[in-house]
Amino acid sequence: MSLEIKDVEKLYKIVSTDTVIHALNGIDISLPAGKTLGIVGESGCGKSTLARLVTGLEAPYQGSITWKGLPIHDVNKGSFSTKKSVVQLVFQDPYSSLNPRQRIGDAISEIITVHNLVEKNMVETRVSELLSLVGLADDLKNRYPHQLSGGQRQRVSIARALAAEPSLLVLDEPVSALDVSVRAEVMNLLLDLRAKLGLTYIFISHDLAMIRYISDLVAVMYLGKIVEFGSWEQVINDPQHPYTQALIQAMPDHTVIGNPESLAKTLEGEVPDPVNLPTGCAFHLRCVKATPACAVEPQSLREISSNHLVACMEA
Amino acid sequence: MTQPLLLSVKDLGISTVQDPRTLVNQVSFDIGLGEAVGVVGESGSGKTLSALSILGLLPRGVEVVSGSVTFKDKNLLTLNNEELRKIRGNEIAMIYQDPMTALNPVMKLGKQLLEVIASHGGINESSQNQVRALLSEVGIPDVNRAMESYPHEFSGGMRQRIMIAMALLLSPQLLIADEPTTALDVTIQQQILALVSEARKKRNMSMLWITHDLGVVANLVDRLNVMYAGRIVESGTVEEIFRKPKHPYTAGLLSSLPTSTGTNRERLTSISGVPEKPWLVGNSCGFAARCSRAQARCHSEVPPTVITDNSSVACFFPLGGN
Repeated sequence: MSLEIKDVEKLYKIVSTDTVIHALNGIDISLPAGKTLGIVGESGCGKSTLARLVTGLEAPYQGSITWKGLPIHDVNKGSFSTKKSVVQLVFQDPYSSLNPRQRIGDAISEIITVHNLVEKNMVETRVSELLSLVGLADDLKNRYPHQLSGGQRQRVSIARALAAEPSLLVLDEPVSALDVSVRAEVMNLLLDLRAKLGLTYIFISHDLAMIRYISDLVAVMYLGKIVEFGSWEQVINDPQHPYTQALIQAMPDHTVIGNPESLAKTLEGEVPDPVNLPTGCAFHLRCVKATPACAVEPQSLREISSNHLVACMEA
Repeated sequence: MTQPLLLSVKDLGISTVQDPRTLVNQVSFDIGLGEAVGVVGESGSGKTLSALSILGLLPRGVEVVSGSVTFKDKNLLTLNNEELRKIRGNEIAMIYQDPMTALNPVMKLGKQLLEVIASHGGINESSQNQVRALLSEVGIPDVNRAMESYPHEFSGGMRQRIMIAMALLLSPQLLIADEPTTALDVTIQQQILALVSEARKKRNMSMLWITHDLGVVANLVDRLNVMYAGRIVESGTVEEIFRKPKHPYTAGLLSSLPTSTGTNRERLTSISGVPEKPWLVGNSCGFAARCSRAQARCHSEVPPTVITDNSSVACFFPLGGN
């Protein structure tokens, strides 16, 4: 195992109202190196908070996150002495994650210089290497972000992340902001880079079709908890948690057409307030299978078949 | 078309005012009474501008340069602002992607909704009940409390429901929806789609639904226009477009989408390159540079729109022949 997330909790205090948001409640994940974990869930489920913790941008309130046995925070601090950063993050919006006044070449070379990764006279060559790795022409070096298309900008963001020579890449909705016709290209690029560089991915998305396309393992999150975990085949083709089932049913599917009945409501209500979490199973208020016991007993993941974990007593 | 015509857009052209640049070119489509038409396209394809021009809502610096928009027997493009105002919200209503920017943040909901009625003929004793009935039809819990609340007190999904209630308030014959579910979570999106679908059936209302997501319209609309670089490149029934796409762009778009079901994961077929700017297309097919079927002709001539029965395609070398 390479990435070990153990019993991680994250709380945010709202000072003005003196309340606490439970962003993550007891997350446990083991991810072998070279594999891709897809994390799917709706807004507020904690998927981006998890991304910030895994990349070391924030510290967990409780629990630990380790990469190959070393805590993420130390790993990233140590990275300066070993000249490497282990984990890198690619954001959703390539418009806001690039400095508009910095040329593409400088945006990439900055990373190489900060981490002191190659000799000074080799920086230029390395930038060219990275650009070609993500499928961009070398002459883009002298351009500014506004002169690039959305797809090209996201490729630059990926090149910047790769410049630090990470082994784990956290991709937070990397294709959501892109035009539909260019998404496929970026997804295919991610597949190629994974194969070529032996990268481990955490791929975060609200789009199950994208999760299904790239993931080996899939975690479904709801209100700061993982409610289902398993291989992509298990979770997406044989979902056991009522929330996963509802999510899959609600996914707009272009292969099913002209069937207005398919729009029938799958889930009532909305995600509850994370400040006042419901008692028992957090999903019971919206669940079609809920029993009175669900309002009382909190659910934790249990194995229902080999490596397929579900947090539901009815599953 | 079997239904009588409600709206007919003919040869619509939209361009920037200064340094004229074509944004929408020769767009023609019809919406029958009670019919739902979807418009699919990527950013910059002209789908939103075409819809905004129907209600005379084009942003400053952009103008209609040709064509007509006939609603019932009136050409909307020739009406003055006062005449248009009578139609907006009353006969043609619109819902937007972001309800927070469409609602007044400092006015209680009840007042905002009543204002819609007041501005189109006046409030009477039944108006309050009319507002209440619609709020509960769109699934707002505790309607009395909602009437006394401000927009920020609601979630994104609830705000979109309120926008829909506002749009339906005066029983419009045509609802224009510009990506109203794009910012919502999928389970909430599903709820909104079900709600709109139901409300439309009940009222036999026509609809123009704009989206970039083919999956969203697959089960919502009767017919579909596919836009690319400012033109409609293909139109047809949902069945035709999804099962037998004729334009290489439509076909490419469909095969580049991953599916959310099934057991195999084949590599996605991608369309190389980026969408062309409408004003740079000139005398060529806007898709030619990215098209695997393109020949010399596609780079030097604009393919005419060929209409057969209920469908049309603008391509010299369509899939499945002409």
